[in-house]
Amino acid sequence: MTAQSRTVGAGQPAPTAPRSHWREHLIAWSFALPYVLLFLVFMAGPILVALFTSFTDMRVTDIRNPLDIEIIGLENYAAVLTDARFQKAAANTAVFVLIGVPLTIVLGLAAAVGLNQGVVKFRTLFRVGFYLPVVTSIVAIAVVWRLLLGTEVGLVNAVLSTFGIDGPGWLNDERYALWSIIGVAAWRNLGFMMVIFLAGLQTIPKDLYEAAEVDGANAWQRFKGITLPLLRPTLLFAFVITGIGYVQFFEEPYVMTEGGPLNSTLSMALYTYNQFGFGNYGYTAAAAFVLFVAIATLTLVQFRLLRDET
Amino acid sequence: MRIEKRLGASLLAIGMVATLAACGRDDDDTGDGGDGSIAPQASEVDTSAASGEIDVWAMGAEGEALGAFAESFMEEYPDVTVNVTPVPWDAAHDRIVSAIAGGEVPDVTMVGTTWMGEFASLGGLDPTPANIDGSQFFEGAWNTTVVDGTSYAVPWYVETRLLYYRTDLAEDAEAPATWDDLKAMAAAMQEAGAEYGISLQPGGTGSWQTWMPFFWQAGGEIMGEDGTFTLDGEPCVEALNFYDAFFEEGLTPPAAEDVPVEGRFANGEIAAFISGPWMMSIVEDAGADPAAYAVAHQPTEEAGTSFVGGSNMAVLADADNKAAGWAFLEYLSRPDVQAAWYEEVSALPAVQAAWDEDALSGDEKLSAFGDQLSDAKAPPAIATWEQIAAEIDGIIEQVTVGDMTPEEGCPAMQEAASSIGTGQ
Repeated sequence: MTAQSRTVGAGQPAPTAPRSHWREHLIAWSFALPYVLLFLVFMAGPILVALFTSFTDMRVTDIRNPLDIEIIGLENYAAVLTDARFQKAAANTAVFVLIGVPLTIVLGLAAAVGLNQGVVKFRTLFRVGFYLPVVTSIVAIAVVWRLLLGTEVGLVNAVLSTFGIDGPGWLNDERYALWSIIGVAAWRNLGFMMVIFLAGLQTIPKDLYEAAEVDGANAWQRFKGITLPLLRPTLLFAFVITGIGYVQFFEEPYVMTEGGPLNSTLSMALYTYNQFGFGNYGYTAAAAFVLFVAIATLTLVQFRLLRDET
Repeated sequence: MRIEKRLGASLLAIGMVATLAACGRDDDDTGDGGDGSIAPQASEVDTSAASGEIDVWAMGAEGEALGAFAESFMEEYPDVTVNVTPVPWDAAHDRIVSAIAGGEVPDVTMVGTTWMGEFASLGGLDPTPANIDGSQFFEGAWNTTVVDGTSYAVPWYVETRLLYYRTDLAEDAEAPATWDDLKAMAAAMQEAGAEYGISLQPGGTGSWQTWMPFFWQAGGEIMGEDGTFTLDGEPCVEALNFYDAFFEEGLTPPAAEDVPVEGRFANGEIAAFISGPWMMSIVEDAGADPAAYAVAHQPTEEAGTSFVGGSNMAVLADADNKAAGWAFLEYLSRPDVQAAWYEEVSALPAVQAAWDEDALSGDEKLSAFGDQLSDAKAPPAIATWEQIAAEIDGIIEQVTVGDMTPEEGCPAMQEAASSIGTGQ
């Protein structure tokens, strides 16, 4: 329908064009209207209101008298950025992203390469096994891991103790909690990376590997010289998607640690969520936009670093 | 995709509140928030002619049992129909805020005691009429209904925190009278075979409820008469030092445990803990012999104060049927009804006279809770209390688990509370 009207429109002689263009626009817009309306009402509108809110001192107690709020400029942003707890949350988020993203991608890539070449038997079983956590509710996963990583009755420490190792408090010791959560996140998301990389690996022509083999390149050299460069677009996608997701990590600490102990697993998203619960709407909106800027910046940096260099 | 989900969610939430706020603008009777009114209660409401329907929101086990319980009220007021909507605790706060903001409210709702300041500041609650006698309730419970000098609700049920301890491990099995006694007792019970003499929360959500009684016992007050915070000072340092000593001396588990305390208490590994009345049935379900443990009044220094919590019942400012709403709350506050309600869901009566009813007066452990309730305090009813409490929780953790000293912790509490303010 759209394609047809476009060709008709393009083929119209100039003199009669304005009228039928107008008609076409009308048809096109009427098709797009439901989405545009929904977007404006439920996404763009609230986002703009939130942006405005972030420059005001709005609190929960103002919601019956919204005209009472005052515009306080960048005060909320200044307060967010100088709050020690937010800085801690930002540092935790940075560690989570800088360690978690590469870890997840390396594990996903390893699983994909392994399944693509080595493992022939039970290949489907492995694929399902790795992918299952991705389609499982993250809250369910976090609850299960909270139990597994329990200090006194957790399965992990129970297994360790059979080897005579006194396992640490994986989630209630501030030295280990963030690392435990990074591990859980990597385990959960590697399946998705694996699927992406498997698809990427299929597109690499087999004869390249054959030629390299004839030239005497070993497995590592083939991986470095052929697989990695040709997977570059896939890697970019993987870094961006995982990065965006990880900057906003929320459910894992929310369910497993509530951000503790000693704020060691407090993430920027969880910090923002808590502030919303306290009813500091202006402040919360500012924190949410700081998070948004962080995501946008990270994505830009990744695009730059991994841009196709050919 | 995730960016949409998460960032979108927080922005949407803010947007929604702002949209709701826009509805509130049309209301002509916007929040009179209680400012300036001197009378603690509003003038009388004529409840004798109460008729029509009232919608009631109630949370938790109470929400499920109240519908059937209200039948007896409807026998007395045949013209009134009570519709009870059970609301899960997790969703209740936001749902009430949205209802108040949008003006589409139930007539009566249950309100957690620490939410009073917020909802009253929103202008969402109707001041308590003079037909309800405030002096019949425990003073600490009644004070949770008072915001800026005006009462906005009726205490419905209460809870307070007592010391649970194993009488078979405590040598002389006597309740500790002072702080020194409490610590000596914990040490002695640990000596007698318990893994830990007591279990105190090292931090995390709600740990202020365990710590704050010690602060009050040392003579501290959260707020002065002039409405400024008075957290910093000698009582705070003493209370934090006392609390931290249990951690320093290995008398309490050093970090939050993932095994529930009731099981450890039942098998004697944990000899004592501080908690509310609901723990009696929980420790007994976990296997504790009712004869092998006791509940005791908080230790006394300058005072023997404990924490009082529970729930209030309020009529909303925008309610359609306030007269019937207050009639219902007057009914729920009668001593015999309160005692009957205790038998229904084991919620402790907020009305003092109800404790003389047979259902309550016969039980020794229950009486201990009744005693403590006459010396129990609640945090100030201010809109920002939850946020200040979260800061206090964090500082308690910094002191017990982290390397902050009590001398640093108290000014930090004071500074955090002052910078958050009262939300006025």
